[in-house]
Amino acid sequence: MNEKVVAMLLAGGQGSRLKSLTYDIAKPAIPYGGKYRIIDFPLSNCTNSGITTVGVLTQYQPHALHRYIGLGTPWDLDRHKGGVTMLPPYAEIDGIKWYAGTASAIYQNINFLTSCEPDYVVILSGDHIYKMDYEKLVEYHKEKQADVTVSVLEVPWEEASRFGIVNTDEDMNIVEFDEKPEKPKSNLASMGVYVFDWEKLERYLEEDNNIEESTHDFGKDILPKMLKDQQKMVAYPFKGYWKDVGTVDSLWEANMDLLDPSAGLVLHDPAWRIYSSNPQLPPQVITETGRVQGSMVNEGCVISGTVSHSVIFQNVLIDKEAVVEDSVVMSGTKIGRGAHLSRVIVPPDVTVPEKYRLLEPAAGITLLTQDLIDTWKESGQQ
Amino acid sequence: MTLMAAVDASVKVAGLQDLTIHRSVSSIPFAGRYRLIDFALSNLVNADINSVGIFASQPFGSLIDHIGVGKSWDLDRRKEGLFFLPTTHQNGGIATVGSFRDFEEHLQFFEKSRQTHVVVTSSFVAGQLDYKEMLAHHLASGKDITEAVGASGSLKSYILSRRLMLELIRSYREKRILSVEDLVNLKKAPYSYGVYEYKGYFAIIDSIQQYFKESLGLLDENNRRLLFLPQAPIYTKVKDEPPTRYLDGSSVSNSMMANGSTILGNVKNSIISRAVTVGINASLDSCIIMQKCTIEENCELSYVIADKDVYIEKGVKLSGTADRPIVLRKGERVTKEDSQ
Repeated sequence: MNEKVVAMLLAGGQGSRLKSLTYDIAKPAIPYGGKYRIIDFPLSNCTNSGITTVGVLTQYQPHALHRYIGLGTPWDLDRHKGGVTMLPPYAEIDGIKWYAGTASAIYQNINFLTSCEPDYVVILSGDHIYKMDYEKLVEYHKEKQADVTVSVLEVPWEEASRFGIVNTDEDMNIVEFDEKPEKPKSNLASMGVYVFDWEKLERYLEEDNNIEESTHDFGKDILPKMLKDQQKMVAYPFKGYWKDVGTVDSLWEANMDLLDPSAGLVLHDPAWRIYSSNPQLPPQVITETGRVQGSMVNEGCVISGTVSHSVIFQNVLIDKEAVVEDSVVMSGTKIGRGAHLSRVIVPPDVTVPEKYRLLEPAAGITLLTQDLIDTWKESGQQ
Repeated sequence: MTLMAAVDASVKVAGLQDLTIHRSVSSIPFAGRYRLIDFALSNLVNADINSVGIFASQPFGSLIDHIGVGKSWDLDRRKEGLFFLPTTHQNGGIATVGSFRDFEEHLQFFEKSRQTHVVVTSSFVAGQLDYKEMLAHHLASGKDITEAVGASGSLKSYILSRRLMLELIRSYREKRILSVEDLVNLKKAPYSYGVYEYKGYFAIIDSIQQYFKESLGLLDENNRRLLFLPQAPIYTKVKDEPPTRYLDGSSVSNSMMANGSTILGNVKNSIISRAVTVGINASLDSCIIMQKCTIEENCELSYVIADKDVYIEKGVKLSGTADRPIVLRKGERVTKEDSQ
């Protein structure tokens, strides 16, 4: 690519339905897949797609993210030219400008973008799990001579009403946006991944900023306005695994997808590595009494119990006679002897006492909390 | 009093030829995800030593590839940091640690330093030597040279003043000594020699038998606890491998497993390195499998050391013994016919 592409990664989301997992970290910083954080996926996609200038827009609980990304070294984004730039909200003479919506977040950083002198701007979301070649997306955008290209994904028809649906003509020109339609006319869902010609984006962001009743959101304001103005807007059909983890259940599902080859997300792929900050830990050990089946286990773990169909993060200790099944156990957790966990997400650094079991197994997935453990202790069931 | 370090990565160790055709002893893979030199380097940086010279001789391609600019050890510094100091001699490397001829070639490394004392260490010992403590002991003893000695022998690590080091480099020929190790063994006058007693775990890797024994020795929890200390991590080159996958039907016990592997078969009493595939129904007992090896289905291996990139085709049966493990050289491909 001779033209310059800059990626803007929206990483300010709270993800309140993920409960205690996001009390003190933003959603893109949530641990996933045994060693990653969700933001590793879009960041690694940038690196693997040859995009070397990336702005990361943070707002909600940004500290963990800022510390995690640092200079961008794990993603090869520590560069003399470009590289990663963290973009939290900042104060000006007129006061502090919080990011009100996705478009306002980009608008507030128009000076940053101008200084990058981009030809194209790729807007990404920091909380989606997928492997995507953005270079192909930009090539498609150029071929179609579009003003904006929206990446879309075929979703099952019965689920289409949960998504922002894009209706197109035969040439993939977008003719209509349908936000969570009751009766969807298409099953192409917007992934929240857009490519803009920089000049067009700049113009529409300026305009949108002056509209008082605007919610300053790409999906709700900018794109409908561009459509109304008959700007050339095309859909790029993405094929492959894509997941927006908004809830405890969907975070669990996304982890379980890694254990199911038919789900389509392969991490063991040297051609498209997902990069991550790597703590320096010794190899994992499965002891004489340890049993592991249908699972993924990261470095630093010592497994003396039984693990089946689970994702185990780094530095987890699972004692003898403990059973972990259909669960996600995050880093630094200790699971005591004889404890039994099934369909649970265990957050980082929890100590699960000996013989612990869930008092009231939920129909869905339980996010283990210290409160649940304390209640169990008080119930005297041990 | 402050320390600089000279790591001898050019020592020739006779008993390890099968593993050193394409690499130096210092870059032999060990404990699943490390190279032997990681232990020496990590001990040094954990003692806040920021000026580290690596003295290397051919073949050192694999070592350079591993060390790079020293980022993994936090040695990519503006001031001091890592110095890669290869010998220009065709037959570089001698059988003892701390060759003065190698040091002489890079005299400036010692001359220019602002540190008062020098650690000289080998790169084929895995342990947790605390150089801060050793320096304190050295200073208190008033001896000229201190050697670290553990229960089963010397760790081949020494502390001496930089002033004495410079004196020795300038006079080793007339004194007829080859190396720091040589000097300490001969106890040449007029210097005084002290011993720092090391009480922790350490493994000297100077033969295939030792390599095999010490590798599998890490399956003993006590050894692991002494080698992998949370407060003194062992650093190595970062590889970005995903977590290891254990598929349904696999069975793994009493084994140490690095990341990035895919296990479909049975593994026990073994060390499995990064990005290894063990096929369905394959059985491994007491094996050391290095990175990127593939072991196809229905293989039966016991007491085998497979170097990097070894490919073992389906149905191969190989069994060595603890004293004579079978060593498969780097990149070797083994077929069923070969093994019969």
